Amino acid sequence: MPREMRRRATGPGVTRPQLVVVHDGVRTPAGQAPAPTERSPRPVVPLGGVPRLGQRGRIALGAAVLTGLVTHGWHLFQYPLYLTDEGIYMQRAWSLVRQTRLSPYTYDYDHAPGGWIQLAGFAFPLPNQFETFGNAVNTGRFLMLLVHLVSVALLFEIVRRLTGSVLAASVAAFFYNVSPLAVYYQRQVLLDNLMMFWVLLSLYLLLGRDMRIRHALGAGTALGIALITKENALFFVPTLVYLLHRRVKGSTQRRFTRSLWPFATAIPVGAYLLYAVLKNELVPTGLDFDLNNPPADHVSLLYTLWWQLNRSQGSLLSSGSFLYSSWIPRDGLFLLLGLLAMLAALYWGFRDRERNLGFLVVGTMAVAYAFYLIRGSVLLDFYIAPMVVLFAMSIGMVTDRLLGRLSSRLRIAVPAMAGALLLFVPVTDYLLTVNDEGRVAVADQYHPKLNLTRMQEQQVAWIRGNVPADARIIMDDDLWSELHDVPPFYPFAHSHWNAAADPDVRDKLFAKKWRNIDYIVMSNKMRQSMESNNGDGREDWILTALKNAKKVWETGQGDINLQIYRVG
Amino acid sequence: MMTLLLHTGLVLVSLLLTVQSAHVLYLMLYTWDQPDAEAKAKAPEEFVAPRLSFSVLLPARHEEDVIQTTIDRVVRADYPAELLEVFVICSADDTGTIGKAEEKIAALGREGLHNVEVVVFDDKPINKPHGLNAALPHASHDVVTIFDAEDDIHPAIFDLVNTVMIEDEVNVVQAGVQLMNYQSTWYSALNVLEYFFWFKSRLHYHALEGSIPLGGNTVFFKRELLVRLGGWDEHNLTEDADLGLRVSAAGERVRVVYDDRYVTKEETPPTLGQFIRQRTRWSQGFMQTLSKGTWKQMPTRKQRWLAFYVLAFPHGQALLGLYLLVSLGMILFLRVPVLVALVSWLPVLMLLAHFVTQAVGLYEFTDAHGLKATPKAVLRMAVAWYPYQLILAYAALRAMRRQLTGRTNWEKTQHVGAHRDKASEANSHAA
Repeated sequence: MPREMRRRATGPGVTRPQLVVVHDGVRTPAGQAPAPTERSPRPVVPLGGVPRLGQRGRIALGAAVLTGLVTHGWHLFQYPLYLTDEGIYMQRAWSLVRQTRLSPYTYDYDHAPGGWIQLAGFAFPLPNQFETFGNAVNTGRFLMLLVHLVSVALLFEIVRRLTGSVLAASVAAFFYNVSPLAVYYQRQVLLDNLMMFWVLLSLYLLLGRDMRIRHALGAGTALGIALITKENALFFVPTLVYLLHRRVKGSTQRRFTRSLWPFATAIPVGAYLLYAVLKNELVPTGLDFDLNNPPADHVSLLYTLWWQLNRSQGSLLSSGSFLYSSWIPRDGLFLLLGLLAMLAALYWGFRDRERNLGFLVVGTMAVAYAFYLIRGSVLLDFYIAPMVVLFAMSIGMVTDRLLGRLSSRLRIAVPAMAGALLLFVPVTDYLLTVNDEGRVAVADQYHPKLNLTRMQEQQVAWIRGNVPADARIIMDDDLWSELHDVPPFYPFAHSHWNAAADPDVRDKLFAKKWRNIDYIVMSNKMRQSMESNNGDGREDWILTALKNAKKVWETGQGDINLQIYRVG
Repeated sequence: MMTLLLHTGLVLVSLLLTVQSAHVLYLMLYTWDQPDAEAKAKAPEEFVAPRLSFSVLLPARHEEDVIQTTIDRVVRADYPAELLEVFVICSADDTGTIGKAEEKIAALGREGLHNVEVVVFDDKPINKPHGLNAALPHASHDVVTIFDAEDDIHPAIFDLVNTVMIEDEVNVVQAGVQLMNYQSTWYSALNVLEYFFWFKSRLHYHALEGSIPLGGNTVFFKRELLVRLGGWDEHNLTEDADLGLRVSAAGERVRVVYDDRYVTKEETPPTLGQFIRQRTRWSQGFMQTLSKGTWKQMPTRKQRWLAFYVLAFPHGQALLGLYLLVSLGMILFLRVPVLVALVSWLPVLMLLAHFVTQAVGLYEFTDAHGLKATPKAVLRMAVAWYPYQLILAYAALRAMRRQLTGRTNWEKTQHVGAHRDKASEANSHAA
């Protein structure tokens, strides 16, 4: 052992770099001398240990988890509408359980499979498997609820460990639980939610009281799973590497943690790559990465990745983007506060990396993901979900710092007041809303009479009552599992996405002829999807069928419309 | 049906190997992973006044070149001469070593040091445990310890053990032994690291769990304990490991001290042939100890299991060697379902994890001893790694064959003579 380390290890004060909360002017860890500055009267956490949770902290944590249970659990199966993507992930989980395949259709590496492997692992042991909670998407949503509850606890502890403040953790958890953006997207079966759970777990493991090799291994593995749940976790890697570095600097096991952490990360990622190699689907034939000429003989992981990197659908900031059409209307205030908090966190974090490690960690994670959203690639509505977590953390930490100078009574009163305002002023949509008739009402996500998914259930009921099981159906993925997992099965019901692209469905079953379609089951806004997916005319034959079809069933509520058409 | 069986077997073996190597990895990292194990494993920073007296046993055979230096090092250790006595143990036919030792004793006598004696035995078997048993009745001090003739001991070792035995109230102390010459042959770095992880990390776990195969030297026993246990098993090739398990079975707590500053320094075997013979002896000794059944007398199931696990390791190693060859063949020639292939990949991942750990270990080791590891050394290790595993597996298979054919003689005495000159050179260099 080098002399320097031995000296530090046996010296007074510090045995290993533990998270030590430094109350300014009270105690500083040996070797670093964060001179108390006027700007930070609150405890700052450099590297190191956190005070124990304590009675007050336990109550706050319990309240946070309980709040999450209510906001996310109440009305979980009724709102929002089942989304296409939820259906796709459940369909693939179904395929794993029923067919031991990664997808009922050709798996083309559009997403890494970690997410639906977890969904399948959850559904498989349940008494009724996919129908345990009514239907497949509900079953997935129940897992989302569980994941959310654990994530709340993780987020709470992460923020508390980074700031040493229960207040910061509570504020972060409040937004994470109650913001309409959070409720809307976190109830849905999304890979993003699972990914963020693993990212939070990875972060949490790097913030333990003492940093042991097993923690690094766990953190690495969690990150690896996050990466194969959704590749976007890549944007968090730099921050996590830096945090690991800071946590083990100067410790006796630093070399082992630094080398085994990436090793652990590489295990899940390596398994994914190995899967592609074993299927001979890693690279396209002849290493041809020509984007105008997709490989015809077999799918390829790297080709798909390359294709995704080169896709572009305009900027987030251009008008008509999800930012203006969906995110700001849902909770613009939160986004604004989050953005400002992120900037403040970055400012404080970079100004003093030693003392403001927490700000640096959260700020850089948020800005990395914001960069991904802004950079102008393909964006879907729910891509905001991970941002909600990071903004919530930023807001919590920054609030705590700003309120640091106030008396302890005001430090509680001010955020409590703000929270109450958010909850009870109707325009915020947090708990109340102003409905179309101009009356104050319970916000959509909690409204007991607003049962959106019932419309989809009615749609399925009509199909079961009126459509023969051998009918050839074009539909959307939202109801796919329902028709394939509950008898009588509808084996010839396929989504328009697959009917337009998958040779097995398009050519073998439908031969690309509109007359071969018996029914078209329209999900909400499916027509727009078909049209936007029709850049190369791939949906033409289905659209022709739609023109030659008769509406046989319809329902609607607000701007949501579902129909069923009989073709011919 | 056949293929199903094959696949199931493959998956099971893969999972078993994965669990096993994950466990070994855990033991390798044990000291680093425990928040305070590192501190506990170290030597005390301050020594208490010398109180215990030591009888040092120095078994030597054909060690003419180094025995004088070794005696010198022991008697000149930083410990009062009246609390030390040294016995050089030789068989009667080894007149060369006896002569050199007596020469040294005479020289020391002229300086007024009279605490070294030669103990000669003339009965069979001629091996280390028999020599130790022959010398034990002559020993009269509180603590008995063993050093090998080529050992490079630290002058403060007696002070250290005196302190530990008094402060921790233990009757058995195993202090660290460390091979040093990590650059002299292609396999030496890996051999050095085996010692490093064994003494620095894994033994601590064994000591804590009360099931510990002791090492052959720099190990200290209270004399009465040793007499009570009846000394060493003369028919065992790893009498040290056997004694360790007997000590554990007797409920004695063993304290392991590995402090980079105070390790006893040794050298890797200078030739591959010697290395294989040494390893064969160890493997066979473990096999003997396993079939002898001392481990069954341990008080708790966990202790028994751990002892069994250590002793059965050479068997596992032999199998692993075969598996390495078979799996290579299967990867190349056999087409299995993707899931089976993914599972059978797990042991390979674990082997990689072991390698990463050892590469890091090289830096830890060199750092601790003021040496410098280079990327080139890591690269050499990477190239040597697979052959080294095969050599270990070969030695284990060889031990298995010897054990099955009933050849239980001490290979060192039989063969080492031919390599003696070279070996002694290396050893004197170390001393």
